[in-house]
Amino acid sequence: MFTHLHAASAYSAHYGVTRPELMVEAAASYGMTALAITDRDGLYGAIKHIGACISVGIAPIVGVSLEVTDDLGERLARVIILARGRDGGIGWATLCSIVSAAHGYDVTKVDDRKPKLQRNKTDRVAIRRGDLARIVAESLGGCTVLLGNDSDVGQSVLANSRDEALALLQPWLDLFAVPNTLAIEVTTLLTEPTTEGSTLQAGRMLQLADFADIPAVLTNQVRYLNPDDAVTADVLDAARFLEPLGFFRVQPNAQAWLKPPAAMQALAREICADDERARRLIRDTEMLAERLRLDPVGDCGWGKPKTPEQHTLGIEGDPFRVLQEKAQAAVSYRYPNASVEQLRQVNHRLNQELITIAQLGFATYFLTVADVAQMIRDMKVRIAARGSGAGSLVNYLLGISGVDPIEHDLLFERFLSTERSSLPDIDIDVESARRHDIYRNIFKRYGSNRVTLLSMQSTYRGRGAVRDSGLALGLDEDEIDQLAKNVWRISAGSFRNAVGQKPELAAIQHALDSDRKMNLLVDVTERLNRLPRHISMHPCGVILGDSSLLRLTSIEQSGMGLPMSQFDKDDMDPLGMLKLDVLGVRMQSAMAYAVREIGRVRKENLDLDGIDKADSATFKTIRTGNTLGMFQIESPGQRELTGKHQPTEFNDLTIQISLFRPGPMKGNMIAPYLDGRHGFEEPDFIHRDLEPILRETFGVVVFHEHVLRILNVMTGCSLAKADELRRSLEDPRAKPRIEEFFRTKTAERGYPAGVIERVWQVLEGFSSFGFCKAHGAAFALPTYQSAWLKTHYPVEFMAGLFTHDPGMYPRRLLLAEARRLGVAILPVDVNKSTDEYLVEKVGDEFAVRLAINDIAGISQAEVDRILAERPFTDIGDFYSRAKPSRRSFEHLAEIGALDDLKLGDFGPKHTRGDVLALVRKLNSSKKRKPSEHDQPTLDFDFGDLPTGNPEPSNAEKVETELRLLGLDYTEHVLEQYRPMLDEMGVVRSNELVDMRNKTDVLVAGVRVATQTPPMRSGKRVVFVSLDDGYGCSDATFFDEAQRRCSHILFNTKLVLISGKTRRTGVRGVSIMAENAWDLRELWSQWINSRQPTADQNVLAS
Amino acid sequence: MARVDELVTVAIDPTGIPTEFNWRGGGYRVLNRPVRWFTRREWWSEATRVPKGVGAGVLEVEMWLLVASEGREKRHFELAHCAVGDKNQWRLHRVY
Repeated sequence: MFTHLHAASAYSAHYGVTRPELMVEAAASYGMTALAITDRDGLYGAIKHIGACISVGIAPIVGVSLEVTDDLGERLARVIILARGRDGGIGWATLCSIVSAAHGYDVTKVDDRKPKLQRNKTDRVAIRRGDLARIVAESLGGCTVLLGNDSDVGQSVLANSRDEALALLQPWLDLFAVPNTLAIEVTTLLTEPTTEGSTLQAGRMLQLADFADIPAVLTNQVRYLNPDDAVTADVLDAARFLEPLGFFRVQPNAQAWLKPPAAMQALAREICADDERARRLIRDTEMLAERLRLDPVGDCGWGKPKTPEQHTLGIEGDPFRVLQEKAQAAVSYRYPNASVEQLRQVNHRLNQELITIAQLGFATYFLTVADVAQMIRDMKVRIAARGSGAGSLVNYLLGISGVDPIEHDLLFERFLSTERSSLPDIDIDVESARRHDIYRNIFKRYGSNRVTLLSMQSTYRGRGAVRDSGLALGLDEDEIDQLAKNVWRISAGSFRNAVGQKPELAAIQHALDSDRKMNLLVDVTERLNRLPRHISMHPCGVILGDSSLLRLTSIEQSGMGLPMSQFDKDDMDPLGMLKLDVLGVRMQSAMAYAVREIGRVRKENLDLDGIDKADSATFKTIRTGNTLGMFQIESPGQRELTGKHQPTEFNDLTIQISLFRPGPMKGNMIAPYLDGRHGFEEPDFIHRDLEPILRETFGVVVFHEHVLRILNVMTGCSLAKADELRRSLEDPRAKPRIEEFFRTKTAERGYPAGVIERVWQVLEGFSSFGFCKAHGAAFALPTYQSAWLKTHYPVEFMAGLFTHDPGMYPRRLLLAEARRLGVAILPVDVNKSTDEYLVEKVGDEFAVRLAINDIAGISQAEVDRILAERPFTDIGDFYSRAKPSRRSFEHLAEIGALDDLKLGDFGPKHTRGDVLALVRKLNSSKKRKPSEHDQPTLDFDFGDLPTGNPEPSNAEKVETELRLLGLDYTEHVLEQYRPMLDEMGVVRSNELVDMRNKTDVLVAGVRVATQTPPMRSGKRVVFVSLDDGYGCSDATFFDEAQRRCSHILFNTKLVLISGKTRRTGVRGVSIMAENAWDLRELWSQWINSRQPTADQNVLAS
Repeated sequence: MARVDELVTVAIDPTGIPTEFNWRGGGYRVLNRPVRWFTRREWWSEATRVPKGVGAGVLEVEMWLLVASEGREKRHFELAHCAVGDKNQWRLHRVY
């Protein structure tokens, strides 16, 4: 018998190698009855460890590996701290607060009277010995500290100084006087005698423990499952130290693996002078392990739903009754003109949902989410629900969701049913720009003792794995960059395979024949695959609990400063924690901005949530395929689908958004749907009972809701049960059971055998590919709203897009779209531009003024000064009051932001060249004259004002605009290549729509997107979108074409593509690409092939 | 002490502890309980491949310090045991 009490999992980022699940399975297979997890600096893998232990039936033990310092911050040791088990959660809570304290949060100081949590500034994760001892003592032995080789005591026994070791041990003994709070950790990694980790050191640690009469336990400082994993550990060490292998002290050998009991017993005998002492060492280890075995339910609140206390939600009395009243009260608001029949339907549905909620005891949960939603609305922030939660009428009535589930035929059972008891996910989308404000307000509203952010573990994927492998192997940075650049959507786990197949990795493939390092790189990259890499704040998760939250989770500081839990989203459900997804959506910010500008400039008060959802002008805009800027339907693929689909109503948007997903695409649902819709094929409903269900999709099963209704109608089972069946269909082991149920029930109900067979095949084949309609409908709302704004308020909408940049395309493509829409763009002007893209009235028209803060290199402080000090009269005035840095000053002049300022008090009419000359002159003077704020103009002498400098050419202006702003607003960057393009017969993107199918064409433009979406065949297809100032052309590269030009597709900016046109619908034309070239290379060849001209140097350089 | 670095053939007991070895034609019997440890190898500058499953042999070497004799004189020997893949080699590193 042996229990490992020191074992780091892969969640010890850049240290541990093995996932907790694998570690636990191995322990069980060795016949161990318990296993500890002790991740470095946190409880990162603890919940997964506990879950794995429960599922294999061994006892979980949880601890942490932490650095301990003295009171002056000098390092004393790295120790293992383990939580006592089965003590009603005291040990667990103590461990959580120790870890939080090591990250600077004293969670024992926060409660309802003092709900704000301050963080002590620390630059490293460590705890002072005094603080550790205090927390341990206050809990009366809630944790046990293991003092081992890596400590002041351990170092001194190695130096063979018993007296010094005893002297160093004494303060530990004094501070951890409560029994069972301190033990000596004895470890041998079988290193060279007299070095750290040697059997000699272990023996002396044991003697010391015996001399001081404290318990000693045996560990193996495990950091990987098998000796083979030690290579991976080396690479992780390199990533941690940010040094190549060979430049830091590596681990001593490959002994820190999860050794089986017999091997550990053998080590004990090797350490101890006699077998009796060895047996006692093992026995003492087991005795401690016994104290530490956790009861997940009793100690960690495993699986028990935790919601804020009623009083924090402002609720009195029975929460269910409160929920019922709130929902009931909202019926007349949500359905003001409903008929009696409709109201009957609403109330029936509401009662059904309420019954389920009551049975599950989730009333408080719904009230909590509603409370947060109300708080967000009170902040005047746009809010929308996403996901299956949109299928709930209660959510609609409580204002959590804005989609009417009855109107859109969405099912509550897909969201919540008595067949499942875990807390459902309600996801909320808000304006991205306000997300952090919302988080802060949630902390303020419920108190830091009830709220923490959620974390997430990012894992090694292709590119990161290649980078860190390259670093470890000492490749130089350029080489690493070059390699990583070509790694695109490749899993590190099959890297060698990918290298053999992907054309852009051919260089690596070639090197494999001769280059040893390259072979190591590929092997090491594969080893890193999917290992946790670092922890960061989850993009949207907030955990809400009761006042005991910080006794159940450890916390650390997130990137935005607020504390976050060390647990991730997969840990929430097992722990019973309530996670609220508050996701920042840039489109919501862009729309809120547009609405604000409409109000500001036109004095119109627009209620975007109240607009008519059947506006024909909006659908007309969508059908043109110019969907850029429209939520969810602006990608090249969606644009193509829009052209084919030609949506005419809201439900069409729901369907289109749902179809363009990996599942439905893999399930080949798009083509049959379009065939049915355009009347090419008669819809096949298989049986008349299915017609009402599948009418909307012409017989194609697209939605989870379809599957639920089919099961419900044909087998007679409840919708709740149907959703359980649907979920089980994805599990191959459960499928036979469901098939039998389906066949028996449908036969009993008299369906013909042929119908049963065909429906089963559809269900079997399609169910796992389907999409949740509620989710699609929730997305369709902002899609429609953005399309509506683009149709009716294009200027304000474009301003919103520019300001909040919500889409997948670079800003300069928005500029092209603005051009196409005829939205005028006004240049940057220090007297008019702000840090947003304002709408400005010019005569009777509206235009968008470029923002000042997007100029390269300008600081927020400079922008703030400009906004505070303006208006400016002349350049000297600007110089002295706005106090720009030399660089920003010149940039502002170059971009033309100073064009409208006078040169001096009575300057003549000037060019931008004159402005620039003056600015350079001012910049070259040694010192800026001190400014006096009350003096409106300057009276110091510039000398002669510059005159006669030329205005820059358009080509020069565009070059400057792209360099400083990334926006070629004077003219499209491609215009400068026009002579060559015209000579070559390159087609403009807006001409494509009128061309015949399969015409040979050349298109050119700026590469604005490269996508490799999932494909049904599994073969990779690359989509490239080019912008040429007349719109977008989309080209598709299949295997052969990719081989010709893969180096162009991912890295080149200006691209020329040859191929054949391919009609994809009424308004849809894309290009089946054959080859691609770098336009700049072609240009310099073209220029060289002709007589040199005066202006070639501008571009050919 | 003399550095040697020569291949030797070694006999081991069932637990892997060396009991006898042959060196330069002489047969040596191990006389004490040998001391064993594991030392590093720098796989990044030596190995050609390190795929998963290659084994710890690319990274560490088992070392033995033992007292042995050919007949009369007892001497200290340091043996290195390398096992990478199907290669299983003993080298005599040092003689004291």
